[in-house]
Amino acid sequence: MYQFRYHKPATLEEAVDCYQSAEDGIYLAGGQTLLPTMKQRLAAPSDVIDLSAIDRLTGIEVTSDEVRVGAFTRHDEVARHEGIRRRLPVLAFLAAQIGDGQVRNRGTIGGSVANSDPAADYPAAVIGLGATINTNARQIAADDYFQDLFETALEPGEIITRIDFPVPSRAAYRKFPNPASRYAVVGVLVADFDGRIRVGITGAGPCAFRGTALEVALQGNLNSAAIEGVEVPDVGFNNDLHASAEYRAHLVKVMARRAIADLVG
Amino acid sequence: MAEAVDYKVIGTSPVRPDGVDKVTGRAQYGADMNLPNMIYGKVLRSPHAHARIKSVDLSKALAMPGVYAAVSGADFPQAQHGEIGGEGGGDVADLAKNIMARDKVLYHGHAVAAVAARSVQLAEAALEAIDVSYEPLPPVLDLDAAMAVDATLLDENCFTKNLPEKPDKPSNIAAVMQLARGDVEAGFADADVIVEGEYRIPMAHQGYIEPHACTASVNEGGQATVWCCTQGHFEFRAMASKVLNMNIADLKFIASEIGGGFGGKTVLYLEPLAILLSQKSHRPVKMTMTREEVFRATGPTSGTHCKVKVGAKKDGTLTAATAWLAYEAGAFAGAPMGPGAMSIFAPYRLDNFHIEALDVLVNKPKVAAYRAPGAPQSMHAMECALDDLARELGMDPIDLRMKNAAEEGTQAPYGPKFPAIGFKACLEAAKQHPHYTRPIPEGAGRGVAAGFWFNVGMQSSAEVHINENGTVTVVEGNPDIGGSRASMCLMAAETLGVTYEQVRTLIGDTESTGFSNVTGGSRTTFATGMAVVQACEDIIAQCKARAAATWGVDEDQVEWEDGQAVPAPGVNADVKPLSLADIAANAARTGGPLLGRASLNAQGAGASFAVNIADVKVDRDTGKVDVLSYTAIQDAGKAIHPAYVEGQMQGGAAQGIGWALNEEYIFNTDGVMENAGFLDYRIPVASDLPMIDTQIIEVPNPSHPYGVRGVGETPIVAPLAVIANAVRAATGLRINDLPFSPPRVLEALDNA
Amino acid sequence: MSGVHVSTTVNGDATEYVCHPGETLLDVLRNRLGLTGAKEGCGTGDCGACSVTVDGSLVCSCLVLGAEMEGREVNTVEGLADGGTLHPLQDKFIEHAALQCGICTPGFLVAAKALLDRNPDPTEQEIRYALAGNLCRCTGYDKIVHAVDAAAKEVRKQQKAAKKASGKKRR
Repeated sequence: MYQFRYHKPATLEEAVDCYQSAEDGIYLAGGQTLLPTMKQRLAAPSDVIDLSAIDRLTGIEVTSDEVRVGAFTRHDEVARHEGIRRRLPVLAFLAAQIGDGQVRNRGTIGGSVANSDPAADYPAAVIGLGATINTNARQIAADDYFQDLFETALEPGEIITRIDFPVPSRAAYRKFPNPASRYAVVGVLVADFDGRIRVGITGAGPCAFRGTALEVALQGNLNSAAIEGVEVPDVGFNNDLHASAEYRAHLVKVMARRAIADLVG
Repeated sequence: MAEAVDYKVIGTSPVRPDGVDKVTGRAQYGADMNLPNMIYGKVLRSPHAHARIKSVDLSKALAMPGVYAAVSGADFPQAQHGEIGGEGGGDVADLAKNIMARDKVLYHGHAVAAVAARSVQLAEAALEAIDVSYEPLPPVLDLDAAMAVDATLLDENCFTKNLPEKPDKPSNIAAVMQLARGDVEAGFADADVIVEGEYRIPMAHQGYIEPHACTASVNEGGQATVWCCTQGHFEFRAMASKVLNMNIADLKFIASEIGGGFGGKTVLYLEPLAILLSQKSHRPVKMTMTREEVFRATGPTSGTHCKVKVGAKKDGTLTAATAWLAYEAGAFAGAPMGPGAMSIFAPYRLDNFHIEALDVLVNKPKVAAYRAPGAPQSMHAMECALDDLARELGMDPIDLRMKNAAEEGTQAPYGPKFPAIGFKACLEAAKQHPHYTRPIPEGAGRGVAAGFWFNVGMQSSAEVHINENGTVTVVEGNPDIGGSRASMCLMAAETLGVTYEQVRTLIGDTESTGFSNVTGGSRTTFATGMAVVQACEDIIAQCKARAAATWGVDEDQVEWEDGQAVPAPGVNADVKPLSLADIAANAARTGGPLLGRASLNAQGAGASFAVNIADVKVDRDTGKVDVLSYTAIQDAGKAIHPAYVEGQMQGGAAQGIGWALNEEYIFNTDGVMENAGFLDYRIPVASDLPMIDTQIIEVPNPSHPYGVRGVGETPIVAPLAVIANAVRAATGLRINDLPFSPPRVLEALDNA
Repeated sequence: MSGVHVSTTVNGDATEYVCHPGETLLDVLRNRLGLTGAKEGCGTGDCGACSVTVDGSLVCSCLVLGAEMEGREVNTVEGLADGGTLHPLQDKFIEHAALQCGICTPGFLVAAKALLDRNPDPTEQEIRYALAGNLCRCTGYDKIVHAVDAAAKEVRKQQKAAKKASGKKRR
């Protein structure tokens, strides 16, 4: 790692101040992506701002129609949280499949969503459930949040504080994990909000996106036969050492079909 | 020797003497050595896969505060050509140039310079201050490109070896090897059925979890002490002395505990750099590789392209076979094409065959030994072809192999006649195994394949000390990579007639015990075990002499039974038997301490055969292959410590499954490995695998006092073809290229 | 860059150290505290050889900064045995030949301990899932899974005995 200064602010305001006064600051949440990147000398921040002491970023709240997860909540906590498992089991199920035990114990939902790795799992839930991203400055709708490869609507220095997930009548997530990294080669989350269908797709493109054609086909017709005729073009899909764009496009339908099968039993 | 004998301790699985240290974190591995005043070395590596080095300027790095030394190729003595023996051997000049590039870099990650500094961070910063000027050359990245007529040459002085006449033009084909017998044309003409196949397998890495690490300390008198993780500290010492032109007597190598090797730690990389940096800095220098460096700059095994053709009669009798085997050597000559060629047909009686094997230079890391080097790739081709043949003939694949199986007296393709071997016993066991007789799960496919490895003997030394209380200390020189201390204790206890608990084995350094070749070639339990047994026999002879002197009888009137000297039957000696403890207690009065010794160049390493069975399921929507169940059956000769023999079989199977399904070096068009980390080059984890059942077959090796055959390498040979054959059974498709990554399998399914 | 002063607990001992911001917890354990039981197999959180627990939760110490440990409780393989008594996991790993080279063993032991603390009666599948962050290249995992299963039984037996003993005392 290159040299840097380490800060551990106790409040959001301090954290943002710290960021603003740094030459090239970066926030540290779970560190499971940031630290390997820094160790490989692919990132060289002047200041690392540890968010772990900020109370406002923690806590899980479950209401009848919403699950609100503090940004600093670790994946394992989401996977095991009784309230989430009851109200929004798809989110707990998704969290339980991220990486491995060590990653789940350290990585945070805010860190994952802020980083917006194209193969991360949470973005499928953010998009598929139509979550709201709360930051220190504002609220961002899921559909406006993910923009491109590792690019989001977050402004420099903006911190995700909480993510609010609307509770659907039912939802399912299926991913095809990379046999090596367990990242999603493709992951598809299908949610049914009283007949209104949302489909969130991760892994396939530069960032998570809605499967609008699939949504249209499934509207009022939630079964896997409904998507048979839907074309999933691979234009703009990721094409890398893990899989071709064509393979990913194929997987989108396979995973969607499996998620739908989970929903309709 | 060696009928089926009832042994007292051999064949039991006691806990290992080094166990407690290894479960408490006490055991010291390569990176765990720390010395006062120690500094840290790091290596600058080539960003090009192929380039001429125009200049290396270390001055800016050396000017940095806290940077104590820097070296480049210019700091090494002129590299001398010459052979180094052993598994990590090859040409000395090549070894030297692989350790540090001289005029050319030949792969991405090739070492170009090294520095030593107060901290790792500082050393990394110093690397960035080194100026290297390159003239990039086109990289040669696969076998076809390397063998093309107008190929860019890695080495203008490389003329293909073993051709009838020295070729007039240099080539990337470093050497050719031919093996032949009988009349191949006539054999194929005799055949009722002929199958052919062509298979490609990319480079794969041993994937030991411990990166290479060493600490070197050179004193002002020029004497160097090196602590390192190695499969053979004696051979490392020999190589270092040649590469650095140092007197071998000034080099002391101490083997730490070793965190896996599988052949990959038979090769010298960091140690000469650490010695040079220590010489220049007058401080101990520690060097550890990152995982990325391990992938980019140590020796994986060859990528291969193999073609095989096999003919058979309707009854399954093989009539002829040919093979063409091309192996990537990486940057320097020395791919395991020889063992690949010699093993491909070894399990079978075959009167007519022809094998051609090629050692081909490419701009990739220089390959190193990996468990049964060369055999998994070539035998994958043959075992897939036999599976196809069995289908064409409508024969059970085990029956087909049984019909042609080599046995005692069969002449191996590489020359000698086999003594007693266990291939038929393995096939019989497989045929009757519950895994083979039970129904195949719905939708799954079952594959079988055979494995083989020669095993080697080579040189070993052992000393046996009898302590004052009659306990036993065995000293030998083979790093314990998988429990060999326990095996040595068992063989010593059995020979001496004492309990396992009375014996301890330790691994001596190069100054404290006699020479041993590497822990490799599945030789340690066989060859070093033989030395330990002989050293124990030396002790017994001495004990008998001491007892004879004590009793006032002739030496031939004393026998050794159950760990004590007793009068021979008929000898009218009215004496109490003398135990090892009794004799030890009285040693001062009977001639001094008891020390047994043996050193040998072991002959007769028995070949080891295996048959593996796997059931797999193929997800037809995604192409993912899951292994549902796996059984490994192998001839161990005699399992000294059965639990560790099972462990070798299970570990080899898991590595083979990983190689078959996932593992591969992926290079971009510039020759840069794109998956140089465990995130993207993932070896199987616990949740990827089923339990791996084992059955140990024991057909004793007539050349070993307890019948031992090496067991460490054979286990990785069969899995590649087992998986491929099981996938064929599940899908009806012969997929020729490995690994069976989901996209590749799906593509095959779609094209069918 | 100035060092960071950290007060923490390591294997039950109050511990203080000063580290550079760029040092990981693994660096601190190995190079500053002399605890070389945790190993660096990859440095990128993919092999689990550096596994330790922080406040009871299993982490790769190579992906945690030493500076982050203020006020935490760190446990490593060196703290697994209870004085002179090995933890049942340690006993069973040796007994079941669950280690060959042994480099991954400290990480597996810490990971398995974290599993048993949470689930003293895991199924084979749960064991495999819980250990999926730890790479072993020697064993093929069979003997590791068996050892963890056997240790779980032993831990349950000990817990039962302890319960019984404390129940008696209360009466």
